[in-house]
Amino acid sequence: MHIIFFFILALLDYSHNTSQLRQKCLRNHKGTEREYVQDSIRECRKEIKSQDMGPTDMKATALLKLTYLEMFGHDMSWASFNVLEVMSSQKYQQKRVGYLGAVQSFRPDTEVLMLAENLLKKDLSSPVPITIALPLAAIPHVISPPMANSLLSDLLPRLTHSHPAIKKKTIVTLYRLALVYPETLRPAWPKIKERLSDESEDPSVTASIINVVCELGWRRPQDFLPLAPRLFDLLVQGGNNWMAIKIIKLFAVLTPLEPRLVKKLVPPLTSLIKTTPAMSLLYECINGIIQGGILEESEGSVEGNEIAKLCVGKLRSMLTVEGDPNLKYVALLAFAKIVVSHPFLVSQHQDVILECIDDADISIRTRALDLVVDMVNADNLMTIVERLMRQLKNSPLASKSDDPTNDRGVHEGIVPTADSDDEDMEESLQKPERGSDQPPPLPDDYRKSVITRILDMCYRDIYSNVSDFEWFIEILVQLVKQVPTTAKAETEKPGDFGGFQDNADISYRIGYELQNVAVRVKSMRYEATRAAQALILVDQRDSLFPASGNSGYGVLASAAWIVGEYSDMLPNPDDVMSSLLHTSTSQLPAPLLAVYLQAMPKVLARLTSNQQYSWTADRKMTTTLLLARVIHFLEPLATHPSLEVQERAVEFLELLRLASEAASGQAPQNEEETFADAPLLLTQAIPSLFTGLELNPVAPGAQRKVPLPEDLDLDAPINEQLQMLLQQADYDSLLEDDEDESYDHYYKGPRSTAPPPVSAADRLDSQAIQNASYQQSAHEEEYLDPEVAARRRTERRERYKDDPFYIDSDRASGRSTPIHNVIRSNNGEELDVDTIPIMDLNIGNGEGSEMPTSHSAPASKTQNRRPRTPIIIQSDETLGDDEHSNAFATSSRPQLQSRPKKSLLQVDSSGLGSFSLDESRVPSNRLDVEKRAAEEAEMQRAMKEIERLRLEMQRANERIQARAGENEEGDLVKRKKKKKKKVVAAGDAGDTAEAVGETGEEAQGAVVKKKKKKKVKVEEVGSGEGSAEDEAPIRTKKKKRRQINLKGDDVMQ
Amino acid sequence: MINAVLVFNNNGQPRLTKFYTHLDTSTQQRLISEIFTLVANRPSSSCNFLPLPPLLASASTSTSVSSSPSDTPSLITYRHYATLYFIVISTSTESPLALLDLIQVFVEALDRLFENVCELDLIFNYETLHATLGEMIVGGVVVETGLDKVVDGVKSQGRVAKRPGGEGLRGVGGAGLGAGVWAGR
Repeated sequence: MHIIFFFILALLDYSHNTSQLRQKCLRNHKGTEREYVQDSIRECRKEIKSQDMGPTDMKATALLKLTYLEMFGHDMSWASFNVLEVMSSQKYQQKRVGYLGAVQSFRPDTEVLMLAENLLKKDLSSPVPITIALPLAAIPHVISPPMANSLLSDLLPRLTHSHPAIKKKTIVTLYRLALVYPETLRPAWPKIKERLSDESEDPSVTASIINVVCELGWRRPQDFLPLAPRLFDLLVQGGNNWMAIKIIKLFAVLTPLEPRLVKKLVPPLTSLIKTTPAMSLLYECINGIIQGGILEESEGSVEGNEIAKLCVGKLRSMLTVEGDPNLKYVALLAFAKIVVSHPFLVSQHQDVILECIDDADISIRTRALDLVVDMVNADNLMTIVERLMRQLKNSPLASKSDDPTNDRGVHEGIVPTADSDDEDMEESLQKPERGSDQPPPLPDDYRKSVITRILDMCYRDIYSNVSDFEWFIEILVQLVKQVPTTAKAETEKPGDFGGFQDNADISYRIGYELQNVAVRVKSMRYEATRAAQALILVDQRDSLFPASGNSGYGVLASAAWIVGEYSDMLPNPDDVMSSLLHTSTSQLPAPLLAVYLQAMPKVLARLTSNQQYSWTADRKMTTTLLLARVIHFLEPLATHPSLEVQERAVEFLELLRLASEAASGQAPQNEEETFADAPLLLTQAIPSLFTGLELNPVAPGAQRKVPLPEDLDLDAPINEQLQMLLQQADYDSLLEDDEDESYDHYYKGPRSTAPPPVSAADRLDSQAIQNASYQQSAHEEEYLDPEVAARRRTERRERYKDDPFYIDSDRASGRSTPIHNVIRSNNGEELDVDTIPIMDLNIGNGEGSEMPTSHSAPASKTQNRRPRTPIIIQSDETLGDDEHSNAFATSSRPQLQSRPKKSLLQVDSSGLGSFSLDESRVPSNRLDVEKRAAEEAEMQRAMKEIERLRLEMQRANERIQARAGENEEGDLVKRKKKKKKKVVAAGDAGDTAEAVGETGEEAQGAVVKKKKKKKVKVEEVGSGEGSAEDEAPIRTKKKKRRQINLKGDDVMQ
Repeated sequence: MINAVLVFNNNGQPRLTKFYTHLDTSTQQRLISEIFTLVANRPSSSCNFLPLPPLLASASTSTSVSSSPSDTPSLITYRHYATLYFIVISTSTESPLALLDLIQVFVEALDRLFENVCELDLIFNYETLHATLGEMIVGGVVVETGLDKVVDGVKSQGRVAKRPGGEGLRGVGGAGLGAGVWAGR
């Protein structure tokens, strides 16, 4: 029956044209596969609940079906109790199905596991090896810490099972126990070690132990150093390549701890490299030499040079070998490890490595890319980048159909469907691999990583490898076209504003580099600005940006900033302005739009601020027209949903309205005049908003280095009455809820709006234009009548008398802290911004290259490149030395890095890492096994005690009898007694403490107790003391004690 | 260690899924389909190592290349036989080339058990498939790599059923592949 089930399932998966039976089945179910599966599950549900454990196997079969369906994503957690029922079946075949179901469907939090524990214990102690193997294989999948604790005692004896298959599975299971509950390793480790050092052990058991030790090894290498001699022997003995690979991997983590190992390892590894026919072993030898730091250790010596040459030579031949791409892949992996410490060794093989960048296989390309980034230097940068650019250009952007999210099965899960050819399924597996030979299009994430790598390579050490910045800018512009389409959602995040370099969208990163060049490399500023202009211009957008979607737009943020900030270098400001004001601009995402808004007045200032030309009628017209255009553009944005955009739009709108007034108010040059001044607002005020100190890059930690003023007490309350005032405010608001101003503002609409725009013009005419700020509220004194201003001030003071948040410059009440004064005195006199010691940059004088913080491009070494003047690249500004800023940078990150997101499928072994196998360590909490052993010892002691008492009483009895008989024959009795004791001792050595004497026993009990306290260390001493106190004739006692001691030993370890 | 062993066919339908660390069913399915997407687009001439699928790559962007071992699965090895893909997901403590050999041993063991194995055998003998894997890998650690011992281990658990109807359609033609490739590594 279950055969038929699978048959039908198989048919559902496949097609149906060969066998009649299949046609029949499929005719019934074609097109209704999903229903059929649901029916099957329903049927299984019924069958699995049945009590039939008999010969028909109905229950087990139903479970097997469910397990099969689980593989396709059909949940079977509801059946966990039935799984348990099948697991406990007496028949092995059914049991096996049950265990399979458990392995596939149980999770460590499955409830029935509590019930399964006893079954696992029972099966572990089964006499049939294949039955023992079932729980052994299942335990790793379901284990939880409490379960590990209780199963340990059943697992440990299996380590000495006669069947090697049971032994090796037990070892692995113990390792998984240790993963969830590291303490279990303490009793298990000595036994595993014992197995490892047993020369006569089955080789496959030894190999399993090595596998487990290799897993444990990298977490706590220091605990495994003592094994080194045995491992070395195993390695030299050879025979098993699998094991040799693992041993080499293990040694790679041990050598850094014990440098003496290097000398020992080099000869066998070298000979393995030279002789082994197995490529995997050869590769792992090289890998082990690299990872174990053997190259560094043996550096300089003849031997060291030889082995380095041997390794790299072998790797090179792996890269050049035809027909085995796997070797290429692993060789690149190994090169990537060498390049960190020995870049010169790798760069000798640049030719073959660069070939791999263009390999048809994306895996190899990715590896080569990783490698190349570390390999880059001033000489090969351009070659590498150009090679990558060519690759990007030559392959089309991935189309939508290649998108993995469109793949069938992602959304609804994989459903068996009847769509493929039956012939396929009967094709023998042992046939050559096949597949199409067409190279896949570059996937988006690869494309993205290529662009990132190009930028990384060029940026490395602040452009120290870039010798030609024109070339670099050109590369940046070209890269924009290669940006893959990305999800745009991430650019819309409000919090992202300003953090372009962190943005996931790669185009932001490109823009950031362009901006970086514009800011840092003064001599290239003109070129950078021109590039930014090209990017901004709307009519060039088709040729510079990718055709589909609006990917690559992230670069516009930086481009807009550059055209604004360096607008005086713009070759064509008019067109830039038109592009900024293009209708498509207002459709940009909010952060971009905000940057655009900021750039607009800067470009406008560039266009209108010229003082050299007369204010002619013509100029007046163009200016007012331009202003009108900008205002027209800004007006709708004043109600933009993004607050950032809204705020900037409103600010500039006000400003430009003023400018517009001024422009139309100013009479143009008439016939008789030779020169008329343009409005001051346009020629001076607006440009002054944007000029001033040049913006320089600031190191991330520099802000922290600004010294804190000594008398600044941040803990001092600003207003000591704050609490009281707050309470009062609460009370007041309860009473006067309706009059709450902000309430009114938000719910009833603004009562009094800002003064109408007309008043701005009045303000302008009357007052100083030089002032940079046009915020009407802050400086009303400057344009209002002095009397009016004074009146307003008193009114205001009245109104805010009780407001703790209002800082009145005139109010100097003794109780409240005069924060204003604090600020003034600290900022004004003591913390003069100019006195902050900023490092002198001296960019202009050409002395920059001498400073440690700025980098000049190294003079090119190759002859064929045209000679270049050194370019000065400005480095980050900071205070003092870099130490602090670095500390800052690293200290702020660890929170993120120390607990990285756990990857899927990852085993959490953090517990093991902190667990010490050191045997002298005092266990903090005892395991069940240990407790049980301790209890047994205790019990034995108690038994002995009873026995002793019994003997004593017996003896006392005898004594009494003797005394009653003949007093003078005491000596005789004593002799008799001794004789008797001897007899017993000789006769019964292994049994209970029958023969153990009175005093000695007591002493021993004490010793054991003492030992318990002092733990294992006192072992030797303890037994020594014991024997000193012993009476000579009582031989067995010693034996006995040793037995106990052994027990204690085990327990303690 | 080995984190998962997957077998699916050319259409991405799973034939064997074994996860040695806990993963809920829906994520398992997503992972399978992601890996299938990666693997299905590869030409036969490319190497047998896959880049990490998005599900796994997210947490280990930088660690994939780093040389120090860690718990993060960073290596996906696959082999393609006729209609089936065999996938092993593992951490960096496993040797990539050795894993390829391991898959080979697995397939050879199946071939030995089923005599010229094909995909149908694996469907009908789902249990045996698991048992074979269980003889080779326990809890993510390789316990046996010897072909004979694996086969004997499975056989000791009971008779291996043949596929119904005796449809051994193919000759023994392709069976030689294993030995040749095998000896090379």
